Amino acid sequence: MTTASAPTAPTAAAPAATRSAGRRYRHALWLLTVRDLRVRYSTSALGYFWSILDPLVMSAIYWFVFTQVFHRGSVGEEPYIVFLLSALLPWMWFTGAVSDSTRAFIKETKLIRSTTIPRSIWVARVNASKGIEFLLSLPVLAVFAVATGARVHWELALYPLAIVLQCALVYGLGLIVAPLVVFFRDLERAVKLVLRFLFYASPIIYGTQALPDKLHDLAAFNPLSGIFGIYRSAFFPKQLDWFEVAVSVVVTVVVVVIGLVVFRGSEHRVLKEL
Amino acid sequence: MTAIDHTGPLATVAPVISVRDAGIRFKRNRRASRSFKDLFAGSNRRKRADEFWALRNVSFDVRPGEAIGVVGRNGQGKSTLLKLVAQVMLPDEGRVHVGAGVAPLIEITGGFVGDLSVRDNVYLTAGLHGMSRAEIRDAFDEIIEFAEIADFVDTPYKHLSSGMKVRIAFAVISRLDEPVILVDEVLAVGDKGFREKCYKRIEELLAGGRTLFFVSHSDKDLRRFCERGLYLDKGQLQLDGTIEEALSRYSADYGV
Repeated sequence: MTTASAPTAPTAAAPAATRSAGRRYRHALWLLTVRDLRVRYSTSALGYFWSILDPLVMSAIYWFVFTQVFHRGSVGEEPYIVFLLSALLPWMWFTGAVSDSTRAFIKETKLIRSTTIPRSIWVARVNASKGIEFLLSLPVLAVFAVATGARVHWELALYPLAIVLQCALVYGLGLIVAPLVVFFRDLERAVKLVLRFLFYASPIIYGTQALPDKLHDLAAFNPLSGIFGIYRSAFFPKQLDWFEVAVSVVVTVVVVVIGLVVFRGSEHRVLKEL
Repeated sequence: MTAIDHTGPLATVAPVISVRDAGIRFKRNRRASRSFKDLFAGSNRRKRADEFWALRNVSFDVRPGEAIGVVGRNGQGKSTLLKLVAQVMLPDEGRVHVGAGVAPLIEITGGFVGDLSVRDNVYLTAGLHGMSRAEIRDAFDEIIEFAEIADFVDTPYKHLSSGMKVRIAFAVISRLDEPVILVDEVLAVGDKGFREKCYKRIEELLAGGRTLFFVSHSDKDLRRFCERGLYLDKGQLQLDGTIEEALSRYSADYGV
């Protein structure tokens, strides 16, 4: 029914001739991200504090449960609070961005119906604002690292790699989730459920080394294993497993490619549903 | 293609908007989004339940500087056509090509955020429509002056009256330096004085060589701005001629 050229052709020609498409995209993305952060911080007095309170309370709870109540044996490394935070903070980015991307289109219906900026921006901006929040929360990790006397290793230099990888992964997932939610509203709940499962299926409260051998190989196929391993290796070099990193690179690339295909294919139908 | 005589000297200029056999279809029960259950239902059961073509086989060209009025009853595809030209919707078949930037006066308040001040909102909306910070800074005072809300620049947008909201939105979008302007009955709101001011702005823009695409139910407004008319009925482009021809065909068909 649909002619092949119809859905994709007009978008390419859309941007004004005076301004390059790439510049305009970045400019719009920046504006929307700043808007998100500004709205969040202007509507509540504690602003920044709220965004770091969540991971802080979470890690306080896990720290208490696993070190004071259960006396976890070989799970995780010392100091455990740094071990927790170093994966929990990026997890907050991941879970926040993926669950927000279920509402990426629905929340901005009016704006999407009145501007011609490339539609993938609605996904990218969710990712960007959560990513910036993550960067802003890193000082918390630094404070705990200093307070507990955790040693920093050269692997700290790999942080940008982990950030780029996670950025791509979250973007790819957003490209898949955001348009599909418009057609299947149930997906919103399903995503929440999967994320809750993924929290325990990812090396956050434990490290992949602590898993039994069989599960160890399986865990490598969770792209978050490799990514969190890199973050952690800044303080705990043993957590870095290059096999896991390689697998997460491959999985991330696959996710991004699928995301682009899904997004391309559903864009014109999404616009009609909004 | 209906050639129009009064555009004579412009006839050789490349069209700024070119619509070729464009068609778009909607589900009749649009709002009912599907659940997972449908995903597993047999493919024939979920196959295009009750779709209709809102527009089909629509073709026309618009040359720079033309002012076009779109005429037709409610639900005959006028707004949809405007959205296709604004490229906030994509056609299911055919092609819509717009070779220049567009200032869409459609859902103009859509980009505004209640919690941010008027100032922040102006920078945000104008920026999303492609203006740079420096351009907005230069135009800022003029925008506020046009909207007549100088006392409310730092008020959160949500505290403005609904008339003020439309005024500031119109002031921003109409200030965009884009060659094509799309107007979709946004001016129905607002008091008489401001509406007249908006019309004057549109006339100024037209005099400056902009291309206008205008959807309205008001014969008076259509005659005031447009020389060419498109008459849409039953999802088809029934007539492409002068605005007088379009209006008289419309009233002949529906006796208004």
